[in-house]
Amino acid sequence: MSFTQVARSCGRFAAALSTVRIASAVVQTQSRMLHRIAVPAMGTQLTQKFTMRNYSARNTIEEIEHRVLKVVSAYDKDSRCRWQTQSVRSYSAKPPLSLKLINERVLLVLKLYDKIDPSKLNVNSHFINDLGLDSLDHVEVIMAMEDEFGFEIPDSDAEKLLKPADIIKYVADKEDVYD
Amino acid sequence: MAQVPLAIVSHKRQVCSLYKRAVRNLEAWYDRREVFRYRAVQMRARFDENRNKDLAEGMRLLACGQKELFETKHYQPRNFANSAGGCAYEREVIPPDWLLDYWHPLEKAQYPEYFAKREQRKKEFVVWWEKQYGKPDPKDLGHH
Repeated sequence: MSFTQVARSCGRFAAALSTVRIASAVVQTQSRMLHRIAVPAMGTQLTQKFTMRNYSARNTIEEIEHRVLKVVSAYDKDSRCRWQTQSVRSYSAKPPLSLKLINERVLLVLKLYDKIDPSKLNVNSHFINDLGLDSLDHVEVIMAMEDEFGFEIPDSDAEKLLKPADIIKYVADKEDVYD
Repeated sequence: MAQVPLAIVSHKRQVCSLYKRAVRNLEAWYDRREVFRYRAVQMRARFDENRNKDLAEGMRLLACGQKELFETKHYQPRNFANSAGGCAYEREVIPPDWLLDYWHPLEKAQYPEYFAKREQRKKEFVVWWEKQYGKPDPKDLGHH
């Protein structure tokens, strides 16, 4: 094989590579855009009917911000230097839970939920009767608990968890915490 | 076992389940939190709009919603680590307690104190059971 032949075949190879790369880029962008095509399809119906609604009990952003900061700072004050600021890293395991810690975390999540009035919240307050949530809000609360503790709560169990105390007991049972 | 439906699920429960799956689906599509929250609020608004419809209309809407969810389902949904489809699903197998009864006597002999205590506990459990639920009927014992 002469030198020019080598150079020519190299050039051809490079050209082939670049077309492949372009093709793959096109495919990638197409697959990346798929959800944009698929999902706004359900948004289009919405824009015709969607009217402005206020889902929060508080109206202005400042009020919400003030409330969230207040709740968070109160929580920080009473649980300073515990599970968030542990000095030893545990590489695979979660931070060890105790009933008190579960209690605090459940109540923090609930306090930060904007449809619940933190002053009314109690460990034994019923979500629907006392706190005035509806069933979809209850689903949102359960999803927040799933995200907080990192495991799934099936619907059949979720419908029984109607008080913060029930959630605390359920999480403790799942995580094998007794004290 | 907890997820095996043992009763006919009411319409309300079905709607709640649909809402949960729809929001989780949105969470899988939109990884940026603020974008996801925007979509989730829109989804909530769609559910709230049909709050006071009658049952026939509600069932039609539920079927439509389930169809829409099926069509817009994410190809690779996010799962919790320990639930089915998650990365650590069934990673840690906890052997059942009765397995210890099937150890070989020579194996048991290596832990004499523990197994003596275990036999004692079994006797106590039988006593507790009979106190709680009464003596078993001799007819119920055995296979046939």
